Amino acid sequence: MRFVTYLARRVVGIAAVMVGVSIITFAISHVVPADPAVAALGDHATPAQIVEFRHQYGLDRPLVDQYVLYVEGILHGDLGTSIRTRRAVADDLRDFFPATLELSLSALLIALLLGLPAGVWSAVRRGGIPDQVVRVVILAGGSLPIFWLGLIVIGVGYFQLGWFPGGGRIDAFVAPPPTRTGLYVVDSILAGDLDALSSSLRHLILPAVTLGYFSTALVARMTRASMLESLGQDYIRTARAKGLRERVVVWRHALRNALIPTVTILGLTFASLLSGAVLTETIFSWPGLGRYATASAVSLDFPAVMGVTLLAAVAYPLANLVVDIAYFWLDPRIQRGG
Amino acid sequence: MSRSHPLAILLAIALLVAAACTTTGTPGASGSASPSASGGGQAGTLVIYKDVSDLISLDPAVVYEFSGTLIVHNAYETLVQFQGSDLSTLKPGLATKWETKDAGSNWQISFDLRSGAKFASGNAVTADDVVYSIQRAIKLNKSPAFLFTDIAQLKPESVAANGANSVVITLPKTASAQGLLSILTFTIGSIVDSKEVKTHETAGDFGSGWLLEHSAGSGPYIIDHWTKATEVQLKANPNASAKPVLSSILVKHVPESTNQQFALERGDADVAVDLSPQQIAAEQGKQGVTTLKADSLQLVYVGMNATVKPLENVKVREAMRTAIDYNGIVNDLLKGNAKKVQGIVPAGLAGHNADTPFQQDITKAKSLLAEAGQDKGFSLELLVPTGPAPGGTQWSDVAAKLQADWGKIGVTVTIKQTTQAELLTTYRAQRGQLVLILWGPDFPDPDANAGPFTDYAAKSIAFRNGWNDASIADKAKKAALITDPTARNAAYKEITDYVLHNGPYAVLYQPSQNFGLRSNVKGFAWNPMAYADFWAISK
Repeated sequence: MRFVTYLARRVVGIAAVMVGVSIITFAISHVVPADPAVAALGDHATPAQIVEFRHQYGLDRPLVDQYVLYVEGILHGDLGTSIRTRRAVADDLRDFFPATLELSLSALLIALLLGLPAGVWSAVRRGGIPDQVVRVVILAGGSLPIFWLGLIVIGVGYFQLGWFPGGGRIDAFVAPPPTRTGLYVVDSILAGDLDALSSSLRHLILPAVTLGYFSTALVARMTRASMLESLGQDYIRTARAKGLRERVVVWRHALRNALIPTVTILGLTFASLLSGAVLTETIFSWPGLGRYATASAVSLDFPAVMGVTLLAAVAYPLANLVVDIAYFWLDPRIQRGG
Repeated sequence: MSRSHPLAILLAIALLVAAACTTTGTPGASGSASPSASGGGQAGTLVIYKDVSDLISLDPAVVYEFSGTLIVHNAYETLVQFQGSDLSTLKPGLATKWETKDAGSNWQISFDLRSGAKFASGNAVTADDVVYSIQRAIKLNKSPAFLFTDIAQLKPESVAANGANSVVITLPKTASAQGLLSILTFTIGSIVDSKEVKTHETAGDFGSGWLLEHSAGSGPYIIDHWTKATEVQLKANPNASAKPVLSSILVKHVPESTNQQFALERGDADVAVDLSPQQIAAEQGKQGVTTLKADSLQLVYVGMNATVKPLENVKVREAMRTAIDYNGIVNDLLKGNAKKVQGIVPAGLAGHNADTPFQQDITKAKSLLAEAGQDKGFSLELLVPTGPAPGGTQWSDVAAKLQADWGKIGVTVTIKQTTQAELLTTYRAQRGQLVLILWGPDFPDPDANAGPFTDYAAKSIAFRNGWNDASIADKAKKAALITDPTARNAAYKEITDYVLHNGPYAVLYQPSQNFGLRSNVKGFAWNPMAYADFWAISK
């Protein structure tokens, strides 16, 4: 019951965040001292074309009217029409979001699979060579600019070694799998299409590594710090005194307690991956939301910018929700209301 | 936590990676890891790496972006055309013969259609298709429609069939017949298969929703598919009269030029479109790669708002022009990746004025300022777009060079850099002081530049710079209507000479465009109107 109440409160919270975000984004995007009609039609458009365009997109109405119309549209499931692509924003998001989701999930998976053990290992071997290595990797992960890292990764993995393709989601001569989730890897598995699976995985690896490196370093650092704290606690000494094997002490007793801050970081990282993959997407020609958002912002494409912002506004609280659910699982005290 | 979970996950990932490493893909396929000796893609496919983020539609009545033009040009035929990189000799397209007649207050241009021409659907190309296509573009009234409605002053009823194989277009004598013929070579002049398009019409959209990503033309290729933000593929049209050498063209969206360069060197790309001059220089002499330098019709210029003091004084403007080190911009900043052009009509178009009277002369510029009573100097704001400028430098670098040059004559310039959208909003409202920007003609005719640069009433460039000179605007309008090429060129010489010294512009350069090609690619010729004839390319 407690959980249901909690969930309901969270959903209301998300709705409130969305209203707030939509008002702020709408206001900010409309105080930019540039005309979206000029941005869309370009240097050569005649004044008459500009006027007609502004009318067509309702840009000639008072700001409040525009906002009310926009919200009415959202309530009817209509996110408006993109000024730049001239398509429904919802269709654009449906096209581009799965690519970003697939990339972000892969980056998160890498962070989890590499960052977590690295953090644990580093903490257990504190001061030893593994710890030094992990700390250097963490430091590099936190300080290397992603565009630089991306170019190095593509330069080595594609250009020098030729092990991986240079960009895109799938080979041009391999048909993408039928869309079910929009995630090529998942859809390929669902369709039993090995060609598509192989091609989409190979395309995914370099951008996922690039995007995931920063998160891996973050997770490793956080895990290391909280593991160090856990390992110094009394209950660990007790566990060891009971004669438990060191592996059980580390992975079951220490890690479980150390996971809470890491899970928090993972949730936030995932949300930021969703909205911040633009550089990786550009370098790897990845047709995702980040590039769509940037192109939309540059062309003052308000409906598209609003659509992306709202999506991000949902992603953050949702990620937090998942994190909170994980807390319930990780920490029995939360379940008991302790 | 059970230990079997991480093991299971690791096993699943290992399996996935194993699947990834299985070489099931097509050997040498574009984007694949294995380089292909014969160039990118499969045999018979030309793979072009290009930033196509400007692509919003493939409907010829809507498309007005560079990437869209490139694709649409190859899927449709026009009545008349320019071939290769030439923009001076009209060649037959769907029309084998055309003739302009003086019909009192109008021009009448009649076109005889090529017999036996077929669309990709197998339908014959008829006069009705031509009428439908032109009327469709006018009625849809999208971005390029003004070329028909404003420049050529056409109305839907201006075009009529004269039997099954002949069409007559009537335009008022206030418009230029030569200008219309030039417009007809452009993508808006594409002839669509009216029978096919009509079957896809919904809610009076003239089939625009369907043509957004399909084609219905008689050109050498048909649009096979467009995957948004990923690629466009063209396949040979079996019914085309001009049979293409290559059976398929793949235009891949690759926004990052380093990635384009990698793919070109590895042989995954046959053509890389967006390489910087530095990358082009790096490619020279590399095995298996060649480079091509082609013209554009763009002009990079500074607009000087003549309503802003002291720019209203023609001597001050002349001093500003005289202070600029044009050679430095072209040779040092752009590494020769541009032509020194100072007139308002670019090289490559009829009416181009090859005179370049300006090169930095500080003494002369200072004396001009003194004559204008401005020897103490003055301060102005220079609006500059963000990002890369044509020719392969940054807008900010060109601006910094100008700032330094003008500083030498006591003119203090503050650079204000904004997005192009914001800059244009200010510029169009006549609120700029000095504005660094570019212009490219809408159709390959001198009128496409002479009009905007001289006619204040057209609310284009002359208006934005507050330059209202009715006599020169009138001369430009008259020049557009001259039918005799020699007389027309003479008229443009007079106009461009006048604007050179009296106008509110400092034209800085005409950028070139560079391409990286695999050396086995033959027949790639870039037209300055931003397209290439794919059918003529082989590899």
